[in-house]
Amino acid sequence: MSSAELPTDVQHWWTATRYQLRFYLRTWRFLGLLLFFLIVGGAATGVEIYLNANGGSAAAFLASGLGNLGIFGIIIAAFIGGDAIAMDFGSGTGYYMLVLPVRRPAILLGRFAAAFATGLCLVGVYYVISIFGAVYFWGFAGLPWLALGESFLLAVLYGAAVLSTAFFFSSLFRSPAVSIVLTILILFLGFLIVDGVVGADLGYEPWFSVLYAGGVIGLVLVGQPHYLASTSHVGGRVITTHVWNPYIWEGTVIMLAYFVVFLLLSGVIYQFKESKG
Amino acid sequence: MAKIEVRGLSKRYGGSPFALTDASFTYEGSGAIGYLGPNGAGKTTTLKLLTGLLRPSGGSALINGVDVQRDRKHALADVGAVIETPEPYPTLTVQEAIQMVSEFRGGPVADFAPLVRDLHEKLDLPPFSARTGRLSKGQRQRVVIAGSLVRDPHVIILDEPTSGLDPKERILIRNLLVDLKRDHLILMSSHLMQEVTEICDQVIFINDGKILLRDSVDRIGELFRTRSVEVEFSSPVLIDKITAIGGLVKGARVVGERRFRIDFDGTTSARAELLQQLVKLGPVISYTSGTLALEDAYLALMGAREPSGASAN
Repeated sequence: MSSAELPTDVQHWWTATRYQLRFYLRTWRFLGLLLFFLIVGGAATGVEIYLNANGGSAAAFLASGLGNLGIFGIIIAAFIGGDAIAMDFGSGTGYYMLVLPVRRPAILLGRFAAAFATGLCLVGVYYVISIFGAVYFWGFAGLPWLALGESFLLAVLYGAAVLSTAFFFSSLFRSPAVSIVLTILILFLGFLIVDGVVGADLGYEPWFSVLYAGGVIGLVLVGQPHYLASTSHVGGRVITTHVWNPYIWEGTVIMLAYFVVFLLLSGVIYQFKESKG
Repeated sequence: MAKIEVRGLSKRYGGSPFALTDASFTYEGSGAIGYLGPNGAGKTTTLKLLTGLLRPSGGSALINGVDVQRDRKHALADVGAVIETPEPYPTLTVQEAIQMVSEFRGGPVADFAPLVRDLHEKLDLPPFSARTGRLSKGQRQRVVIAGSLVRDPHVIILDEPTSGLDPKERILIRNLLVDLKRDHLILMSSHLMQEVTEICDQVIFINDGKILLRDSVDRIGELFRTRSVEVEFSSPVLIDKITAIGGLVKGARVVGERRFRIDFDGTTSARAELLQQLVKLGPVISYTSGTLALEDAYLALMGAREPSGASAN
């Protein structure tokens, strides 16, 4: 066997994608997430149908459900991508994969594509359930299909952005389990807290947060003001609460930046990381 | 032609002492090279540097003339490697795990069906439909070795390939390697002197990150003569009679019923004369080397025993 017979990097990427996808789709975590989305999405839609809560419009009905994808996307990304790189350095997978005549970026991008496709399956399930509820109340013709398509595209971009971020955190750790847990903590709790403190309490727009940017998935269906402030009086004190909503272009740019920057950083770290264990 | 070349290779982890210092060796063609040393000697570090899993602090590693650090993909094009404890994706089947490697190397497994069938037979692989995550350690190790050999790479790098395997599995691997070394270049680390003696033609001894000695197994045998024999009599013999054999016996101890281990100077003439003297004490039914030459060399080089006329290079 000579090096001339070796497949190209693109062929290697495709091989890595296919086998990684087989791996993901057979894991318990994928089945667990699928079950989670079926139960959560199904239960929410079921309750809305039971209570006849049609949201006032098809767009508002869809936005209320799909707005949750910001949080759900982070859960998907953490569970699917949280160990994507750590698995090579904390378990024996790296000793199987990294001694092959394959460039590491081909493996990384193959894994990303597989994780992305797996996440897309889950997001797709959630969309189907949401659309089912909307069709029940408003019929096929009553749905804002164009805005729904835009929302889906933004959800796809958001998925790529949070997955990139999860890959980046995964590149920092060696233990796959630690990597998944910390990715959830940092992405989920970290962003929630920071968004709350910086945006709602201090009144600064959290333009640096991918969770904030993910709000455009629902906002593209029903527009909201970019900024709102409300005041309340509690025990003689005036408390101001700030509400920020990203512009669609703004959210898109933030998500693109997350996707590109963190995927690049992941690639650089993966390229130079050593199997010391 | 298969070639492994290590030029002044060094590796240091952070601020700790060098795990490998200025290692150099070249092997070309076919055959098996044993890489011997205690835990932490630098064996696995060398193999990881050779497969691009680590970056060197100095020097270079080349396989078939290609620098591993500069062009890992093409350097490893003709290499099958098993380092540490590899684990294929646990939800893949045995067939998928092997097929994936085949595809990464340039073709579907179907093209190499005869080789895979041969490996399946020689390594007694588990069923192709079994999930690798559910295999025993030994089964998984055999699958990993099969994966490393698929598409028949000419350079094979193995890090303690039989570690943790049962005797039957060890024999399978040993037989396979003895078969492969005829037209492959194998570099394998091991703790098992018996295994290295049976498989390897050349050996490298390493300790504290430094290569102490490298030579052919035959030459090592000459340098480090076996300096003890085990003798078994068919009837009881007093040990005092053995130690009383003047001038030849440097020490003796009982190792079993009517069996003794006797230390002597290791020369061929002394060995022959000792046998003549022992026969006078009673009927000898067995007379064998007490230790392997490699084991003597290992112990001498690692400081547990003084060498007898050997020189390290």
